[in-house]
Formats: sequence, structure tokens, C-alpha cells
Amino acid sequence: MNERSILSRINLPLFAAVVLLVVFGSVMVRSAVSGMDLGEAMFERHLLGLAIGVGALGFAWVLDYRHLRGWVGPLLFLVLLLIISPRIPGLGATAKGATLWLEVAGIRLFQPSEPAKIVFIAMLAAAISHYKGRIDSRREVGRVVSLALAPVLLVIAVGDLGTGMVFLVVAAGMLLIGGLTGRWFVVLGLAALLSAGALFGVNEIANRVLERGPYDPAYISATDKASTRDTSVLIKRYQMNRLLVFVDPTLDPTGAGYNLAQSRIAIGSGQIAGKGLGSGTQGNLNFLPERHTDFIFSVLGEELGFVGGVVLLGLYFGLLITSLEISASSRDLFGALIATGVLSMWTFQILENVGMTIGLMPITGIPLPFMSYGASFMVTNFAATGMLLSVWARRYL
Amino acid sequence: MSTFQENLKPRFAILGGVIIAVLLVLLFRLWAIQVLDGREFAVLADKNRVREITTVAPRGRILDRNGVELVGNRVTLAVLAPSRAAEDTEMLTKLSALLQVSVPEIKERLRSRKEAALAPRVIALDVPMSAVAYLSEHSVDFPGVEVQAHTVRQYPKGSLAAHVLGYTGEISENQIASEDFVGYDPTDTVGKAGAERAFEGVLQGDRGRRVMEVDASGQPKRIIEEVNPEPGRDIRLTVDSKVQAIAEEALQRAMQDARADGFRNAKAGAAVAMDVKTGEILAMASLPTYDPSVFLGGVSKEQWRSLTGTASAYPLTNRVIMAQYPPASTLKAFVGLAGLQYDITRQWQVYRCEGTWTGMGAQWKKRCWLRTGHGPQSFMDGIENSCDVVFYEIGHSFYKEGGERLQKFMREFGYGALSGIDLPGEADGRVPDAEWKKAYNEDYPEYQRWNPGDTVNISIGQGDVLSTPLQVATTFAGIANEGKVVRPHVLKDVLGSDGEPVLSIAPEVTFEPRVSKANLAVMHRALVDVTRSGTGKSAFRGFGPTVAGKTGTAEVAGKDNLAWFVGYAPAEKPRYVVTVVIEEGGGGGAIAAPAARQILAALLGQKSVHVNAEDPSR
Repeated sequence: MNERSILSRINLPLFAAVVLLVVFGSVMVRSAVSGMDLGEAMFERHLLGLAIGVGALGFAWVLDYRHLRGWVGPLLFLVLLLIISPRIPGLGATAKGATLWLEVAGIRLFQPSEPAKIVFIAMLAAAISHYKGRIDSRREVGRVVSLALAPVLLVIAVGDLGTGMVFLVVAAGMLLIGGLTGRWFVVLGLAALLSAGALFGVNEIANRVLERGPYDPAYISATDKASTRDTSVLIKRYQMNRLLVFVDPTLDPTGAGYNLAQSRIAIGSGQIAGKGLGSGTQGNLNFLPERHTDFIFSVLGEELGFVGGVVLLGLYFGLLITSLEISASSRDLFGALIATGVLSMWTFQILENVGMTIGLMPITGIPLPFMSYGASFMVTNFAATGMLLSVWARRYL
Repeated sequence: MSTFQENLKPRFAILGGVIIAVLLVLLFRLWAIQVLDGREFAVLADKNRVREITTVAPRGRILDRNGVELVGNRVTLAVLAPSRAAEDTEMLTKLSALLQVSVPEIKERLRSRKEAALAPRVIALDVPMSAVAYLSEHSVDFPGVEVQAHTVRQYPKGSLAAHVLGYTGEISENQIASEDFVGYDPTDTVGKAGAERAFEGVLQGDRGRRVMEVDASGQPKRIIEEVNPEPGRDIRLTVDSKVQAIAEEALQRAMQDARADGFRNAKAGAAVAMDVKTGEILAMASLPTYDPSVFLGGVSKEQWRSLTGTASAYPLTNRVIMAQYPPASTLKAFVGLAGLQYDITRQWQVYRCEGTWTGMGAQWKKRCWLRTGHGPQSFMDGIENSCDVVFYEIGHSFYKEGGERLQKFMREFGYGALSGIDLPGEADGRVPDAEWKKAYNEDYPEYQRWNPGDTVNISIGQGDVLSTPLQVATTFAGIANEGKVVRPHVLKDVLGSDGEPVLSIAPEVTFEPRVSKANLAVMHRALVDVTRSGTGKSAFRGFGPTVAGKTGTAEVAGKDNLAWFVGYAPAEKPRYVVTVVIEEGGGGGAIAAPAARQILAALLGQKSVHVNAEDPSR
């Protein structure tokens, strides 16, 4: 079978779900940026991102993922390189307090943490598929966990907790399909809990010993501005604030809790049918922060109401179940793992993004797949779609 | 198919379950927040975006009967500071020096509890441009301090007619809770006294409203609803500012006269001039007076103490309607009328005044003011010379007759009752009788009995009888107006936006005592004799129009005598009644009557001159 016929084997439900989501997302982004000073230019950038995304999709689709199987080392190197690249002098750019952009000669290119996600998926799929569906020995677990944790720790170290969490969830999903035994899931789950506890403990002690960055609630509103110098040791002050506000949303509704409070007001006030496309007051009057990116769902909830939310969740259901079907119908474990990684990534991002807008999850900078403005993110998701299509197209090969 | 797919089936099932669980959790939460709690969030969203500001409606002006502006409005620059500025001592010191307001006073204004907790408060009015310029140049040093244009009351005639006009102030907590002030804002300025308070409903306009949509930074984006303020209506008073000025001046002169005569405590007095047929008040003066502009922007504690403290002479009190004095000999006109009406006396009945009177027995001897005695006195002479013995006899007869017909007659004229004037705070005076005495001395059984001396004391306007200067004016107007007592009023009409009256106050008869025209005519003639040849002769010598009047000199325990004069003119066709009272001023004919003459002259278009007079009577 030649490449052309591979392209003809398209998974229509996935294709339809993605197209509908992208159209839906573009409509929402259009509405969200309409009142902004640079709204027109931003929407054009959004369309440019889509165009590049289509290219990336085609490339990933055509590419035979199976070639990547033996490339665990190079892929790991690539993931780590992508993560660290903004910190390489002369390459990084800082936006909103975090150095997550790649910039060359003053031209901002993209956020390398986004493509890092699919490289991470490919790398881990290659590693896990090696064990043919059963990972039980200490050596096997140790190797897989080390491969997964290295990028996680590095990405958290550079201050991108959100991507770190995506990596962890993706790894968990892939280990499930990759055959990690139940007792290891228990062991690793407990270890994760303990590590999280230890992280907070060490962070607290370190801050006290070094007399740096205390994060008592009194600090919340005054210090949420990411631009202020934050000398906290492990957990950044704004991250701690987000957690505190998540636990108690009434803590500081005009400071650290502002985003959450305004987002809930936007979504809740949309009620059943919404205020109408382009008629959201929370969005248009700037009460909603980051409304075209992280809080695009709040705009949707306000303008299209519960009905719009149900339609979106329905489209996501189609996307994810189709992805699951692709994964389950993959002829080889490697393809199944890639598909699982992608669908785990999307599931987590949907849960985290929609969840944070309604107070179900703490706020992190994770956008909504196919909906949020942002070219790096859009291209990555298109490439992920391409990988799914690639797996689907080669299921009989 | 490879075997791994079969092995992994349960694991794919788990993954599918997770996906469905995630989506269901999100769906459920969305349903809770949008469908169950949606309405509450919609309210919050509107609260975010909708701002309502009210625009103050200009308050109606107060004009005199000829259209002369007595109270207007003017725009002034006000400096406002946030309440937290009270803690910033350094800034307060600078503001104090700049605005010429003491630091404690600024602090007091900042502490005003009524206004919304965060709203900036006015700390100074009438700020000079130089200070405004300084504030804007050094705004960094004065965080939160702002300059606003405020509309405040202006008094082109200063303190003229201050008691009639009253003053305005910020609505009090009691007021805003009362039914009369439904729909008022806690920051509204309302009338606190006088006409400002009495006609609040007319003077106060309706606030305008502007409902705006604002963005997150508070910038207005569009106007949702706008209602223009409805200015308050101008009102025209019955007061004639020229007569008012003369009345105030005459009172001052009368007090000077009194002090020159040795009555050093003569510091307070009242005068009122009224149209006998319509009840229109042409002038209403009360001294000491106050400057209504001190209330602009809120009165300080210190100022308030000086206006109301026990050490002050109570300048805020409108003595014409609020002060209650023994009417003294002015009451003899009504005691006499009662005697005529009930056949206790007759016009030419002759009494004998020996200077003392022992009608109630030698141990209850009473004296006439003229210790040497008036000799034979007809009823007419008794009024003219204010002979006490004549009225002791009449009063004693009323006592012996029983039935308290004297008191009832006085009440029919309006003594002991509100005159119904359209100003707040009127006192009703007192006509004592047996029932009153019993209740008044509830705790002193030995004083509860009504004695002959009680009625006899009333007969010369002493004892427990009390009346306001206004009552004395309205009752005498009743004599002048052939037995019809009209309701006094200061509001002439309410003007529409075109300046034409939309509401005019019509005369209203409030008391119609049962008294014959013939008896009224007798009393009228007797009162004319008073100014012609009696106790008022000295004061009205050379006065053109004929005046019917009565002097009075009240004895007040522990104080100098209180001087009364009440009179109406022209006697042939009475138009105006004037009452003057000077606290601790001495004799009525000597001190009060010249002031009344001056006021009557102004009313009747005569040359208003001040005369010195004498009067030994009481």
C-alpha cells in the first residue's frame, strides 16, 4: 500500500470532531478578541496558526510513526532540549512572568513546551512499547518512570507546572495501556502523593530557612502580580496563591481570586441559553482576564450558556471516544500508546481548563484544546491529530 | 489481531470510563452553576457592569413677596477627602494650612458616619482658586483628595429673615428613616428648619438618574438609562424683605433703648407683622439671629454649641412662634371682651382704683401697677390706662360665677392652641384652668386647687397663662377682622418653571369666637384710645394713621420685665397687625411700642422713624 492510499484512509468521526471544534473555537476566539485593541490582528494570527496546524497535521499523518520506535534516546534529548531552550541565553523571551517562549533575533517563534508534549508522548510510547504490554519488574518500572520523570522535573524546574502535570497524566494513561501492573499503580500513586507532600514541606522549610517568599494569605492580593520579584524556593508565590484561592474562593475576590470569581460570574450568568454570541458583558467589558486564551470557555459559557457548554462537551466526547477507538484498534502497541498519550493529554487539558473556569480545579495556564487562542498550542494539537490519523491509517498494515 | 489488544481490553475500558467520568463531572458542575445558580450569577454580572449615579436637582429658590431672592443657589468649589485621610496627620496639617480649616474640624467632617463608608467627604467649601491650583499641582502629596463643584445655598440678604427661611443640612438618620423622606438618599441635602423644612417637598427637586454600563476599569461604555433631574420649585413668601429689614432693625433699636434705660439684659426679642384679613406674614423677626450660611457643608460641633448651648441666647429659636411668654396686659383686651360678652361688665361701668385691691379679702391684697391708684375708672379707661383693678374685678367675677367661661372665651380666639402657621416648631401656649392645674401639680396635692387668685392673675395676663407673640398677633387680628381669626402663613405661592404661580395659599379662618360686633367695636375704640391718650400715647405721638393697640409689661420671676406691644392699623380699616416683644426690656409702651410704630410705618408706607417713648404701666 502506498502513501496516497494511507491518506485516503481517514477517520471521519475524528476529522469531523476536530473540524467542528476548530470552527467552534474560531467563532469563540473571534467573539473574545472583537473588543480588543489588536483584535483583528490577533484573529489573523489565530487563522495563521490554523494554517500552520494543517501543515503539521499533514506531516504527522504522512509520517510513519513506527520509525520512531527505536529513537527513545534522541526523543528524550529533544524533549529536554525543547524544555530548556527558552533558558538558553539569547533564545528565551519572558511573558507574564515566565520564560516559556522561544525568541530568535527579536522574533517570537513559539512555546517549545507545546511540541515537547507530543515528543514526550512519542518518546514514552517508544520506551513502553518495548515491554510488550506488561511492565512489572522493578528494573522495567524504574526505567520507564525515570524516562517519564526526567522531563517532568525539568519542566517544573523551569517554572512550567502546568506542562509538568500534563506530562504526569499522559504518562499515567500510557502506563495504564502499556501494561503497568495494578500494584505498581498503587505504589507509584502513593509515591506521587508523598512527593507532593514532601514538596510542600521542603518548600515551606526552605522558604523559612532562607527567609524568602513567605506565602501566607496576607500576601495574596499584593503579590499575585507575576511581575513582582518572587524569590520563593520551589513553589512560586502565584502558584501557592492559586491553590489557596482554589481551596477558599472567597479568600481574595479582588486579588488572587479575581479570575476565578469573574469566570464563575461569566459562566453562571450565561444561564441556560447564554447572552448571545458577542453579547457577553463579562468578556466584552474586560471583567474576564485572558478571555481569548485560558478563559475562552468562560466566554463560551457566558455567551452560549449551558446549551453551548453541552455542545462543546459533546464534541469533546466524540473526539476522545474516537481517539480511544483509534488507540484500541491500533495494530501495534506503539501506535496504541501514542493514541493513548494524545487522548490522555486532551482529557486532562479539558478537565483542567474547563474545571478551573468553574472552580473545580486550581487555576493553571493550560488552554482548551482546539478552542483557545494560541498558535503553538493549536499547531501541537493539530500535530497530535495527525499522529492519531497516522495510527488509524496504518492499523491494517 | 495481536494478543495485546485482547489483554488490554479492560484497560481501554478503564480509560473510556475516565473520559466519560471527566465529561460528566464537568457537565454536572456546569448544570449546577448555570442552571441552578444562574440567576444569582446574572445578578452579580449586572452588578459588575451597571453603575448608577444620581444627579442632584437644584433646590428651589425662596423669594420674598415681591420676587426679591432671599435664598438662591450658587456653585462653589469643595475639597473632598477620603475617610482614611483622618489617620494621615501630616496631610491633615498641610490641608489645614491650605484650606484654613482646623485639623480637629477636618477630622470631624471625615468621621461623618452617615455617608457611605468609602465615599469621600467634603472637608472645605468655598475653596479659593489658589488652593485648588496648589492641590492639583501637588496631587501626589494629597492622595484621594479631590476638588468638586458643589451647589450650595446662597443668602443674598445675609441673615435677613433667617428664622423664616431656616437652613438646610445633610439629611439625618432619623429623617431618612421617617416616612416623609421616602426615596431620599443618605447624602441628600434637606431643609432643617423654617421654610426650608416646611416646604421641603416643593423645594426639593427630583434627582436625576444615569444608569451606565462600565468596563472592568470603571470606564463608562454606554448609557443604559437617563432621567434628567427635575429642579425644585421656587416659592414666594408673604414676607416683604423691606418690612422685614425694618422689623429687625426696630427690634435692635428697641433693645438698645431698653439697655439705655438700664435693662442690661435686653438681648432678645421678637416682632411679627401680619395681614389681618389674609394671615399673610409680612415680617417675622427674632433676635438674636444667626447666619444660615454657617450650615453650609455641615456645621462643626463648636459652632453648634455656640448656637444651641445653654450659654447662648438660643439664636436658632424663632421666638415669634416658639417662645411662650405671659401675655400680660395685652390679654386685658380679651378679658374685657369676655366681660362684655358675658355681661360681667359694660362699656361705661365705673370701677374705683385705690392702687390696691382687696376683693378677695384683706389677706389677699393685690396692687395696681399705679400704686397711687387711678381713681374712678370706666371699663374704657381700664383698657386705656391698663388699670389692673378693673380687671381684677372682672376676673374675680368670672371666678365667682364659676364655669371657667373666661378661659373658654380665650380659647375661642385661639389662645392655648396652635395658630396653624406653615412653619415647623410652633408652640401652643397655655390657658390654665382647674383641670390643667390639677394635672400640672400632680405631685403637689396642696397646689392642685383652683383659687380665686388664679383667675384674677389670668385677668391681667399673668400667672400661668402663656402665649406666643404670634398668638397675640392673630388674636388681635381677630378683633380687627370683626371676630374672624385667620391662619397665619408665610407661603404666598409656589412658582412654576415659567415663574407664574401654580399654587397660591388662600386665606383661611381658623377661629370664630362667639362675640358680638358691638362688643368688638367697643374694644376697638378702647384700643384706639390706648395709642391716643393711654399707655401707648407717648410712642404714637405724631403718627399719621390711627393705631388700635395695647401695651403690656409682663413680670417674670427673677428677670426684668418683658415689654409687649400689639397694635393694628389703620384703625378705620385695619390691614396689618404688629406684635413686638422684648425680653427683659422693661415697659411695653416705652420699649416695644416704638418698634411697633416703626414697623407699622413701613407697612403703611409712612416714613419709618424711631421715637423714644415712655410708659410707666405694666
